[in-house]
Amino acid sequence: MFSLRYVLRETGQNLWRNVLLAVATVVTVGVSLAMFGGFMLFQVAVDGATARWQDGVEFIVWMNSGDGSAEDVSVRNQLSESPGVQRWEYVDRRQSYEEFREFFEDTPEVLEIIDAEGVPPYYRVVPVDPDPDVVEELGSQFKGKPGVRTVTFAGDVIRDVQNLSNRTGRALFIGSIVLLGASTLLILNTLAVAINNRRTEIEIMRLVGATKWFIRVPFMLEGLVQGMLGAVVAMTTNALLRNYVIDQFSTADGLQLLAGFKVDDAELLQVNLLVLAIAAGVAVFGSILAVSMHLNE
Amino acid sequence: MIKMEKVTKVFKGDVVALRDVNIDIGKGEFVFLVGPSGSGKSTFIRLLNREDVPENGRIFVAGRDIGRLSGWRVPFLRRNIGYVFQDYKLLQKKTVAENVAFALEVIGKGPQVINRQVPAILELVGLARKMDRFPHELSGGEQQRVSIARAFVNRPLILLADEPTGNLDPKTSVGIMGLLERINEIGTTVVMATHDRSIVDSMRQRVVELDRGMVVRDQARGVYQ
Repeated sequence: MFSLRYVLRETGQNLWRNVLLAVATVVTVGVSLAMFGGFMLFQVAVDGATARWQDGVEFIVWMNSGDGSAEDVSVRNQLSESPGVQRWEYVDRRQSYEEFREFFEDTPEVLEIIDAEGVPPYYRVVPVDPDPDVVEELGSQFKGKPGVRTVTFAGDVIRDVQNLSNRTGRALFIGSIVLLGASTLLILNTLAVAINNRRTEIEIMRLVGATKWFIRVPFMLEGLVQGMLGAVVAMTTNALLRNYVIDQFSTADGLQLLAGFKVDDAELLQVNLLVLAIAAGVAVFGSILAVSMHLNE
Repeated sequence: MIKMEKVTKVFKGDVVALRDVNIDIGKGEFVFLVGPSGSGKSTFIRLLNREDVPENGRIFVAGRDIGRLSGWRVPFLRRNIGYVFQDYKLLQKKTVAENVAFALEVIGKGPQVINRQVPAILELVGLARKMDRFPHELSGGEQQRVSIARAFVNRPLILLADEPTGNLDPKTSVGIMGLLERINEIGTTVVMATHDRSIVDSMRQRVVELDRGMVVRDQARGVYQ
């Protein structure tokens, strides 16, 4: 039978005895998870900003009316029959307006002056060949056609943003994985020190008949507390990153692309829950490893 | 209470610690294990507590074959066996009462049991007035009394003592032996490994002599020799 009071007291004492090592562990777990969280948040923000240009979409044909008009049918037929077009997707006026509202949710003045009728439907087009010249030529075939408002291309800026985001994301991801490995080792090491400091106590516990889990649980809880405190550091950093860095991009004047560069509360919560789950995983893994290696009951 | 049947224990490097040991210790007996260093006394005690398992033979404690006991049941076996160390092994940051209470706390006993049993056992070992002292404030004999109190607080059926007077002067040792004798009189089986000739000779209890892992003498009301 476990005494909650005993387990909490022992866990607290263990943490206090190795307070500097515990702080180092918490900070390392926090930094690695903050890096991972930062990577996730930037991915979410970049995906949001370039949502229309995901999955190889190289140009968009914006329509005046769409939704089954004769001009719309003509454009649709041309897209279907063109050998240079791999696939296309139609976004009707309602979906387009929803995207628009999402894009400008932080600028109500824009939403006030433009209603659903002011937002056009469009076709997202994935060409067979992504070569810029080929794309330019293919897209230009739709310019000036009846019913077509304009044609916009992904262009270098968006591709550069996506590429930069992918590369930075990869670096952050690899860095955070390395640091998470270090965090696991640090938790293992902290617990090894704690176990070593309590050798006599553990020996007595074994000899008077304490069960294996009664001996193990305070150490494992110590590792879990360190992991959870690290997660709190990372989640706080993520919230600050969202509020004071990422959101600043979306409010920058004159950069329409960055209008969608933001992370909403639900997305932040998702990332933070993931961070919490990873912290728990790292802590439990490190703790199990430590007690298996250093506690020979 | 304790029975060994053809027990052999071999350590790495083919060092035979115990060889074909047969012994039967009844409930409430007081047994001295004697013999030179390396004769197998400590191994004998470690086997009884399931800290080690024999290569051959069977060991019964309270009618149960402890060699066949699954790992998760070992702690429950140990709750019936008290253990007294030569070097006391007290926790220096805990008071006398806390050291004794620790043995109950880690097997899940509640505050009510602890508050009842700890003062009672400290009274028995003569340390009731020093329950708030720390180990470093006590003499060697007093520290060994705390160690015995901790081993006996759960009222085990068997008390194992490995050289409990090894670090004590003769006068203090007599006091400790008096205490073990009282515990034995309550009905507890006591098995004590010792090098202390004067104690063995004065108490005239059963003596089991080991030499190079073999029982060479088993004598009721014996002496050290």
